[in-house]
Amino acid sequence: MKGARLDNRQWVAKLAAGIVPGCALALAVMAVVGALCHTTGSPMTLSAQLLLWLAGLLWAVILSGCFLFRSGGWAWGVLGGGAVAVWLLFAVLKSVLP
Amino acid sequence: MKIRSDIVAVYREVHSWAGILAGLFLFVAFYAGAISMFEQPIQAWLTPPAGLPAPVSLDRTPELMEKTFAAFPEARAHYTVVLAPDATQPGRLIWPKGGGGHGHGPAVSVAAALAPDGSVVTVTQAPSEAAHFIDELHQKIGLPLPHDVAMPIMGVVALVYAVALVSGVIAFLPALTRTLFAVRLEGGKARAWLDLHNLFGFFSLPFHIVMAVTSVVFAFHEQIFAVQGHLFHQDRVPHVARMAHGPEAAMPRPAAPLAPAELVAALARQAPGFVPDTLDYAMRPMGPGGRTLTLRVAGHDARFGLRGPVSGFAGLDPYTGRVISADYLPGRQSNGFAIVTAFFSLHFGSYGGAPVRLGYLVLGFGGAFLFYTGNRLWIMARRRSERRTGVVTDTRGTWVLSRLTLGCTTGCMTGVAVVLAVAALSPGASSYAVLSWVYYAVFLACVLGAFCLTARTGAPVLLLGTAAANLVLAIVAGGLAAHGIGISGGIALTALLVAGCVAVPGVRGVAAGRVVQAAD
Repeated sequence: MKGARLDNRQWVAKLAAGIVPGCALALAVMAVVGALCHTTGSPMTLSAQLLLWLAGLLWAVILSGCFLFRSGGWAWGVLGGGAVAVWLLFAVLKSVLP
Repeated sequence: MKIRSDIVAVYREVHSWAGILAGLFLFVAFYAGAISMFEQPIQAWLTPPAGLPAPVSLDRTPELMEKTFAAFPEARAHYTVVLAPDATQPGRLIWPKGGGGHGHGPAVSVAAALAPDGSVVTVTQAPSEAAHFIDELHQKIGLPLPHDVAMPIMGVVALVYAVALVSGVIAFLPALTRTLFAVRLEGGKARAWLDLHNLFGFFSLPFHIVMAVTSVVFAFHEQIFAVQGHLFHQDRVPHVARMAHGPEAAMPRPAAPLAPAELVAALARQAPGFVPDTLDYAMRPMGPGGRTLTLRVAGHDARFGLRGPVSGFAGLDPYTGRVISADYLPGRQSNGFAIVTAFFSLHFGSYGGAPVRLGYLVLGFGGAFLFYTGNRLWIMARRRSERRTGVVTDTRGTWVLSRLTLGCTTGCMTGVAVVLAVAALSPGASSYAVLSWVYYAVFLACVLGAFCLTARTGAPVLLLGTAAANLVLAIVAGGLAAHGIGISGGIALTALLVAGCVAVPGVRGVAAGRVVQAAD
């Protein structure tokens, strides 16, 4: 992100990236952490409740930070790519973990 | 603090747009939320006396239960033993009319007491919905929509609010050390408003961060739990099995549950300091074909944060008095649950007792004022840049926003005051639907007034109208001192303060006759 000065010309694309792949990324991180700590996903359990807060907080942070990407395409690339990668990790974990 | 100037410029722009999008919704949410800090006392204050005989002592409660269940077998399915009966829960024993309550909000309930001759006396009581309506107004950020529809919209506004907070901090940080305590009242109106906005925003920042994050989670928890349900094998079986066939289920059960006094004593031994308020019994289907009596105790403990707005909870075995779930029991929670509870109690202000509640009342009103100053700043900045380009009158966007800001803020403040006054003056318990109509009629009238009256007269008329409504509420509240001198005085004082705060700019607008500048 060095060099060019940051501006808000592509705010629609950046914000959309924060909303769509940003949400997917937040949920993916929740999924991976959940798989690692063997949560059952039952809302009465502590792990499910902590994961809920994790996902909400992450999404809010991503939405606040999405304006820092140098372009809309870059935002979609990083957040979208990140989401795909973390979801793939979750798929691998699901098949490996008992 | 050094931040690249282009990043600061980007976030300054993000802050102004996020703020303007969410500001008016948040004004309503904070104004109503501040008042809902005292939801229970207000509800007790508005509920007419039930006229039951004095509640029986805790030791005689089994007799009351036995006689009541003989006369009303349906009450066995779901009933509550009230340890400190008050106006909203007038009997020692109460149960929701028509079986289970609908979950949220006060339900029509039946309260039972013993007459001097030992016979059962019951009274059916419809609670006043005014306090609950204001709480709902807070949760639904003022939208007249069903709860399910309003919640996701509230979540979006909360996300925008979070973005506005982060961007506001980044935009303000470079000037922090220079201007934090400088409220430059004489350096032009815009500067004074900006300084006030920064001062309020900076010093209530932790409060606002908590509110933004918790609101996002409150809004989207069902959806996120649904995702979790899809992702993870939702093994509820072990949990249910533990409840139904845990170690205590394997033992032969005593024939009858313990008496309430014995349960309270058993709880006091296991969780000293926890003050139980109600014992909620329910018959729940457990295991194949079986039904089990479950007991949840709601109570409070000023030393710890509470999971609910006014209560923490303990799951008790009603036959042995043993605590079987301490997940939400203040002081007995695991560290993890205590962390989750901290988020809830920081949102609800349910820690530290009355001083914290009063603090949250002030912070809530302060938050509403913060959003109002934000809107004013936005309008002034737009007008300034428009004047610079040679436009003499407001553009449509600026005009609409300035009218909306005036109409929504005065509409909310007037509507809430009228709702409380109507509920206090009506002879019976006022229903949710009636109060809803009253509020939205007043709110709409104020918004229409803001758009239809001329810029010169609109602001003083609406501001003085708001002051008048709050003055009426103060008089009404003062007249109901018999219902509770503390809450009557509190409402009267708060209404007088609100009336004073809006009357000053209103009177100034009339006196100056230059309402265009005074009110925008």
